[in-house]
Amino acid sequence: MESTRVLEYLTEVEEAAEDVLTNKQQIVDLDSKRNVNREALRALRTTSDSEKVKVCFGNMFIKLPKSKTQDMIKKDQEQLDKEINDLRKELKAKVNHLNVIQGKPELRGYNLSPLSAEEVKAINHLMKR
Amino acid sequence: MAAQMSTTKVPEVRDITRIERIGAHSHIRGLGLDDALEPRQVSQGMVGQLASRRAAGVILEMIKDGHIAGRAVLIAGQPGTGKTAIAMGIAQALGTDTPFTAMAGSEIFSLEMSKTEALSQAFRKAMGVRIKEETEIIEGEVVEIQIDRPATGTGAKVGKLTLKTTEMETIYDLGNKMIESLSKEKVQAGDVITIDKATGKISKLGRSFTRARDYDAMGAQTQFVQCPEGELQKRKEVVHTVSLHEIDVINSRTQGFLALFSGDTGEIKSEVREQINAKVSEWREEGKAEIIPGVLFIDEVHMLDMECFSFLNRALETDLSPVLIMATNRGITRIRGTNYQSPHGIPIDLLDRLLIIATSPYTEKETRQILKIRCEEEDVEMSEEAHTVLTRIGMETSLRYAIQLISTAGLVCRKRRGTEVQVEDIKRVYSLFLDEARSSQYMKEYQDSFLFNETQAPQMDTS
Repeated sequence: MESTRVLEYLTEVEEAAEDVLTNKQQIVDLDSKRNVNREALRALRTTSDSEKVKVCFGNMFIKLPKSKTQDMIKKDQEQLDKEINDLRKELKAKVNHLNVIQGKPELRGYNLSPLSAEEVKAINHLMKR
Repeated sequence: MAAQMSTTKVPEVRDITRIERIGAHSHIRGLGLDDALEPRQVSQGMVGQLASRRAAGVILEMIKDGHIAGRAVLIAGQPGTGKTAIAMGIAQALGTDTPFTAMAGSEIFSLEMSKTEALSQAFRKAMGVRIKEETEIIEGEVVEIQIDRPATGTGAKVGKLTLKTTEMETIYDLGNKMIESLSKEKVQAGDVITIDKATGKISKLGRSFTRARDYDAMGAQTQFVQCPEGELQKRKEVVHTVSLHEIDVINSRTQGFLALFSGDTGEIKSEVREQINAKVSEWREEGKAEIIPGVLFIDEVHMLDMECFSFLNRALETDLSPVLIMATNRGITRIRGTNYQSPHGIPIDLLDRLLIIATSPYTEKETRQILKIRCEEEDVEMSEEAHTVLTRIGMETSLRYAIQLISTAGLVCRKRRGTEVQVEDIKRVYSLFLDEARSSQYMKEYQDSFLFNETQAPQMDTS
């Protein structure tokens, strides 16, 4: 009886931990995609001088107009930024949940919203940091 | 000769960290309570005083939960019954995150600032504000850094920077400004760096472990770090805790550096305080700041006078007020600055707002235990018999006197090259140093031979 209860509890913790790890991996994957896109945008702006560029979709190359490609990637970037932000928010909740079921104390100042950039600048300036 | 003297004289270097000083309450690590707030007889340096420790524990829990603010506690008891020890225990148990300010009642009497100013500064030192800073950073190990200088020598430089983490690798194009700051930081392949996205500030964290074998000769300050994990573009959240007083000081510093170095902040204008209160409560409403009510401990509170007490009365009612803990060893006595008598030398209206914890004198067994703890703290080995003798002395004179004898007896013991303090050592220091009772006895016997003796002068009232 006791052992099943312990097992259930451990499963719950493991599941929560696994969830956190998956979330983290997802952020890493998206960031890696974001960096590749950024490189592509840079390459489009600097190197090629032709009107059209070859874009790889899956396992085939398609010739597309440069401006259209740029727009596509930019849209993709925005989408990625948004997704990463959402994932980070989820991650916070998940880490919190993990802490709660493990009986660990809540992290200090975890739920604070950050100061704005100017406020941070002012505080840092004041603290001579 | 003089020249020779000056060259041979080696500047005295004193290692500050090795000079350890032992304070009277250095053995206290906490209140010595178990999870159910029940006090253990001997724990964390605390001995006895079970009822007062349990009371302190209840207050401690309330402080930790942040439920009580603007309340005041008075620890009252005879001299040498562990009032300061309990306050120290609370401070230790609160941990480093909750601000704890300790002051003595007489500290407020200064020529630099008014009494109430000193008190408000103490109040604000005991109030913490927790804020969060969030920055987007790029963190990675430099794989390659390539800078192209224009052939003519002038004009914009361009370059490429390859960064990697354990998961990914990417190339950044560099502008003129970034190249400059990279070369200013002397960044090279193998360094682990962070770039602040908002400001473009580059900081070097150290060299990657994988590059540890690149060179044999390295500076001592070369620090090796692991290659960062995860994504390149990270979000870093830093939580700061600052006291309201710190913000006050910096904001009121109109003269800039001067005040910083003299360490004298002087008085802070009330407008500055009001502005900061307004800003902090604005942040709190926006969820940007948490207020942490800390603890202000005023020892020897009977040294405060009537003006201070009325200030305390009012200050406790403001919404940015810490938990006030006071300690006094006075009984019914005159309130300073008036001719009225009052219990503990504190006006009745303030007493009415206080939770009062009483401490009682230690029993013989407890005295013995405390002396034992102090022996350990002061690194003095003592034989059983000497310990018994010292306990007797502690019971008959005072605990403080007995504690004084520990280190002096330890010195005498070392002088005779003994390893353990014996009864003889205790006897010797007991004859060398008078306790308060014997000293007064001596005075009474020989008062005629002292100067300016006034036998009819009233005695100081300490009870």
